Amino acid sequence: MNILNLEYEKYKLNNGLEVILHRNNYHPLVSVNVWYKAGSANERKGKTGIAHLFEHMMFQGSKNVPKEMHFRYIQEAGGSLNGSTSFDRTNYYEKVPANFLELILWLESDRMCMLLPSLTQEKLNNQIDVVRNERLERYDNQPYGLAWETILNNIYPAGHPYSWPTIGYIDDMNSYTLEDVIDFFNNYYSPSNACLTIAGNFDWDNAKTLVDKYFSDIETKNKPDNLSFPPVKLKKEKVITKKENVQLERLYLAWPTEKAFDPYDSSLDILGDILSGTKNARLYKSLVYDREIAQDVTAYQYSGKYAGHFLIIATAKPSVSLLLLKDEILKEIDNISSNGVTQRELFRSKNGIKSSFIYSMQHIDSLADQLNYYNFYLGEPNSFNYDLSRYEDTTEANIIECVNKYFKSSHIELHIAPINGEAENQ
Amino acid sequence: MKLDRSQKPTASVELSFILPEEEHFKLDNALDVIFVKRSNLPTLRLNLIVNGGSKTDPINKKGLANLFAMMIDEGADDYNGLELMDEFDMLGSNFNVGCNNDGIYIGLRTLTENIDRSIELFAKVVTKPHFDEISFAREKRKVLTRLIQLRDDVEEIASSVFEYIVLGKEDLYSFPLVGYENDINNVTLNDLKNYYNSYFIPNNSALMVVGNIEKEELREKLNYYFRDWKPKVLDIEKYKSNLKEFPGIFFIHKEDSVQSEIRIGHISENRSRHDYFPRKLLNTILGGQFSSRINLNLREDKGYTYGASSRFNYFKECAFFNVSTSVAIENTANAIREIIKELNLIREGVTESELYFAKSSTILNYPSKFETNRQITYHLTTKYLYDLPNDYFNTYLDLIRDVTIDEVNKSAANHIHTDRLVILVVGDKEKLIPQLHEVNSDKITELDYVGKEIRVF
Repeated sequence: MNILNLEYEKYKLNNGLEVILHRNNYHPLVSVNVWYKAGSANERKGKTGIAHLFEHMMFQGSKNVPKEMHFRYIQEAGGSLNGSTSFDRTNYYEKVPANFLELILWLESDRMCMLLPSLTQEKLNNQIDVVRNERLERYDNQPYGLAWETILNNIYPAGHPYSWPTIGYIDDMNSYTLEDVIDFFNNYYSPSNACLTIAGNFDWDNAKTLVDKYFSDIETKNKPDNLSFPPVKLKKEKVITKKENVQLERLYLAWPTEKAFDPYDSSLDILGDILSGTKNARLYKSLVYDREIAQDVTAYQYSGKYAGHFLIIATAKPSVSLLLLKDEILKEIDNISSNGVTQRELFRSKNGIKSSFIYSMQHIDSLADQLNYYNFYLGEPNSFNYDLSRYEDTTEANIIECVNKYFKSSHIELHIAPINGEAENQ
Repeated sequence: MKLDRSQKPTASVELSFILPEEEHFKLDNALDVIFVKRSNLPTLRLNLIVNGGSKTDPINKKGLANLFAMMIDEGADDYNGLELMDEFDMLGSNFNVGCNNDGIYIGLRTLTENIDRSIELFAKVVTKPHFDEISFAREKRKVLTRLIQLRDDVEEIASSVFEYIVLGKEDLYSFPLVGYENDINNVTLNDLKNYYNSYFIPNNSALMVVGNIEKEELREKLNYYFRDWKPKVLDIEKYKSNLKEFPGIFFIHKEDSVQSEIRIGHISENRSRHDYFPRKLLNTILGGQFSSRINLNLREDKGYTYGASSRFNYFKECAFFNVSTSVAIENTANAIREIIKELNLIREGVTESELYFAKSSTILNYPSKFETNRQITYHLTTKYLYDLPNDYFNTYLDLIRDVTIDEVNKSAANHIHTDRLVILVVGDKEKLIPQLHEVNSDKITELDYVGKEIRVF
């Protein structure tokens, strides 16, 4: 499709920094998006969460940018900004009126090369407090908030970096030192380990001149070693039962599957859609709509650079047993394995995916991030049509194959039950 | 040569920004349509607002409008609920229904290649909904289970009980959208049909459309697909304010909670045009963005929280101001004291440089508020809901520029009141009670999950 075929230019500076430019002048806005190829997968045990803490430190000012001024300069210019950390990468992004492109390149380049001179113990202590609060607020104090890390702990072998959550553990947070932060910077924040994308309203020559001005004299550091891990296999089924301060029981089923962009990754996405993506999806229709034994159900493939897993989550209606939910879910997966899916189900899922690709084209900041995403996983930023074709080419046979390949092996089960065990009487 | 990085770059050339052009027209059935043409992508978004919403819920039937919103797409014309959604899904169109205190909202996002079929289905939901017994029983059970689930959600508990107390427990805006268990059990299918007959009327509604279509083509299609929807005389009671003030310190016990959810605020004045802009700039300085006083103090200076913010919450007929944050439970009293300190401080006035910053960020951010069809639809809906003047978007920037520091300081004095704060905390009471006594030795009231008094300490 034409509108999914983005014109872009990609090149590399002498210090190894990759640059991707995509011009779109519909709005007077420009988006800058930097991916560093470092996430929680690059951490070691005992220092979990350091990649994310580091992301916070990147907003604390750099040599030429006093504390709090990174935010203030961008907001004063009418811009928005944030960053995020995942298993595989950390990104930083800004969207500003097009005439402030230089301001952003100055800020991004200053922290790429001059973060350490401004680093202080006081800033670190403050941000350790902030990320500790972030963890408490977003995980510990949320209903079922620790389920994700329980799944990770159990599905990935000890030592696999996906076996801990990106936010990290509280005890590890308390142990971060300035040295840890400096090491992380020196190991992973080299221009040669990053990709800078600029998307939106700019002038080609001017943008290249500015990129050259602010980034070309940044010194390159050693490239980190490539990580690699053997495929994840569970030796046997695991059932984990937890009592928590919640009202309703919830079931999690997880299977190790495959990495992002591996052959069945897209079939697994479509399978998730067919199971729970719409009101007519199989599990939603049977468990939530027709039989009312679940309040909600979600099924999806999570895939990263080094591994992936498929997750099904269902919350039981009061007084419904999780074993019943489990039986029904496994029966449906067997059913797909034996009888396949309908053409209508495939078509529905593909249409939804296709239109979501088109709808997503209106956000210049998500386009910039998506260019970086494709560049990171595929080495080719303009992969929208390729990505869509992975879904369009998926056949009924592919769905059956991926079910047979991954869902006949051992899985993890997590049962979360209310502490007092009497949800229905509340 | 190493670059000298010490100088902050300034803006290059002046930018020009052209606001999207609005077109207003009425359909043959008197439905107001507000349309913005955008031709960059082959997509279209529609949003119908039907005035009413949960503020019309009768006493003992709180939750009616929300249940109505859950039911309206459970079957229409020739399709049952599942078939209907399947038709939308097969087109790759997204259809959704929402509800708030002031209205029911029906939204559609479609590719232009499927405009006809998508609008046809959308119109069926609006004009020929089923309201059958089986779906009603199922959706009712769903919302009752949802009520049980909500007891786990500390943010939701804090926000909904805060609104209940701050808006005086008896105002039509005081009650949670989702309602109460007994009330929901009282709602009958007939109530929903009556709601439909009273409120789902073209002359009580407006349709926002943004996307890739010509105005005349749109008008023709809408007139055709909404041809069975007829105007009627409106027989709707006018909102009567019943706001009351219950300042004080309240808490809700949540066993073993590691954080406390804090809400602090009071009733505010309605969104009137002359005063809106100073208030907006005031809040930008106080707690409306990352670099605001409250967040910098509680997060970047004290490290009590992941984030803290303040806002004026405007409904169509009333408003309240609040600060909200979540902090590690041992910092509850510290955080409350700092928030009150900031509220007192802002009453002493803002600085010229703070005002410059607030204006600059608001003015320069304006173009990015019109980037997506969704944003534009949202702005059009807001403008309609608050009955803002026709030239609102065109005059917006000038009205911001014209605000003086005296006006901002006056609005701080008029709209921030530390002598009548409602302070509500959700957390573990063992750790909360001593801290709340530290904040204020007066009485502390424990509330249950729906805001009813349990006891006074």
